[in-house]
Amino acid sequence: MRNIRVVHVAGHATVQDLGRRGYRAIGVPVSGALDRMSAVIANALVGNEPRVAVIEVFGAIAVHLLGDFVVSVTGGYPKVFLDDVEVEPWTPLYCRQGSTLRISPTGAGRVHYVAVSGGVVCDEILGSMSTYTRGAMGCFGRPLRPGDVLEIGSVDPAEVWERVSDLVPPEQLVSRHAKPEAPLTLRATLGIHTHLLEDVELLLRNEYVVTPESDRMGYRLNGEPLPSAKKLGRLPSVPTDRGYVQVPPDGKPIVLMSDSQTTGGYAVALHVLPQDTDFLAQLNPGQKVRFKLVDISEAEASVRTYLEEVNKPPLYRKELEYWG
Amino acid sequence: MSRKPSGIRVVRSGGYIVHIDICEEVSMDCVKDMHKLYYSIKKEIADLVDEIVPGVTSIAVYYDPRKISGEAVESKVRELWLWSRSIDIAELYKPRRFTIPVAYGGEFGPDLQFVSSWSKLSEEEVVKIHTSRVYTVITLGFTPGFVYMGEVDPAISAPRLETPRVRIPKGSVGIAGRMTGVYGLESPGGWRLIGRTPLTMFDYRKNPPIPIHPGDEVVFKSIRPEEFEKLFGVFVGDYSA
Repeated sequence: MRNIRVVHVAGHATVQDLGRRGYRAIGVPVSGALDRMSAVIANALVGNEPRVAVIEVFGAIAVHLLGDFVVSVTGGYPKVFLDDVEVEPWTPLYCRQGSTLRISPTGAGRVHYVAVSGGVVCDEILGSMSTYTRGAMGCFGRPLRPGDVLEIGSVDPAEVWERVSDLVPPEQLVSRHAKPEAPLTLRATLGIHTHLLEDVELLLRNEYVVTPESDRMGYRLNGEPLPSAKKLGRLPSVPTDRGYVQVPPDGKPIVLMSDSQTTGGYAVALHVLPQDTDFLAQLNPGQKVRFKLVDISEAEASVRTYLEEVNKPPLYRKELEYWG
Repeated sequence: MSRKPSGIRVVRSGGYIVHIDICEEVSMDCVKDMHKLYYSIKKEIADLVDEIVPGVTSIAVYYDPRKISGEAVESKVRELWLWSRSIDIAELYKPRRFTIPVAYGGEFGPDLQFVSSWSKLSEEEVVKIHTSRVYTVITLGFTPGFVYMGEVDPAISAPRLETPRVRIPKGSVGIAGRMTGVYGLESPGGWRLIGRTPLTMFDYRKNPPIPIHPGDEVVFKSIRPEEFEKLFGVFVGDYSA
């Protein structure tokens, strides 16, 4: 059998691809990987196409590999063990049948991706394998638990290894967790309700802290509240998206994430660019962010680059090393 | 506030969304204009953009900036707005009518008592008023298969809960001011729950998962708890009154 078995989960692990597109008009959220770039890089490192399903992990996981596979781990910079040998994240790993891959968080980054050559295979629901737990859809329709067996697509691992063994990801993704104390700058455009929030300047002037109440629906931030949001209260519900910075009446911003509801009635102050929302997903509670306003032409240029890179992840070949 | 003289307010957001506000407060006139623009956009530029999603008084057009600029989307939307003003919705969309059976009150509608005391009417009168109108589907959203409808009789237009419930059973029918809605799946929510339909409103194995669209008409029909048991699980698209 070509599959893998979940041995242990501490935290929250689900199967995710790039999400369910085209069903927001009937209330179905996009879902998909929180940090899309890490998910597509994980796939590329094992020779998979970008839209292939991977395992997304908040916390720790151990999986037993019931076959030879090329595997990669990306996202943050967790500790990774193949049986009892420590190995590196962000690189292709050739794993023999019967081995166990373990990932444990280090605080460097928050959400990790495990890609397996051939990809996790489940029934597609509305065009995606992504698990949306609230709607009980996609790959078990719930978080993974010990004993779950995931089917893996059929590819020849030796052939894959030939193609991928010297692939290297971009350094800025791998090393972005190096300074957890420095605030992360989130580029954002004005939001659809900025004109109703006369004190939106507060959001742009202050630092905000990621709170523990942050999950696949949204990352809640703590910091200087916006008093104008209290006055506004609830607005007629508008279509929303990942990256929208909603300000509920308590004045504290929430950045919507992949499982966020498709419409919302809170004021939208800013819209964080997709690339930077990927980066935000990697922050642990206590880490700081700062918003930086960009105009629409800069935002469009950034989204164009981002979409290009999601479709064709930027990987390099290892240069030949010379030994003196 | 009513509509601005210029008509619509367009905001380009995030480098891939064009958001259109038709007006700032909910009214069925505004909803009608929103539907006309929504179906015009769907008809004319669906193949140029990624996704078109209606809100309650707004529309979002999600586009790929590698294929089209936000500026171009905005100018098309503005043209379509002017055009849609001069036509009848029937030229764009032919509404269907759905009947939704509802068991009101008791365990099915834990807030019917509240709506009754809020409106100073008996529970029976509240039910009578709720079932006596033909509602227009404003939009679907929030969670899979949640249907927003209007317009509720002012006499029973109770405000939403201060603190939303964490878990609401699927099929619950609620009131929030002048809107009424049905929860397609179990979810959290803050609407005043007056009843529950036994019908399955949303089923991702069906194509489409919910047959109800913006602009469709809905009538509610009061049923007894025994009928609730009998109809439980029937797909909303397969039910006829």
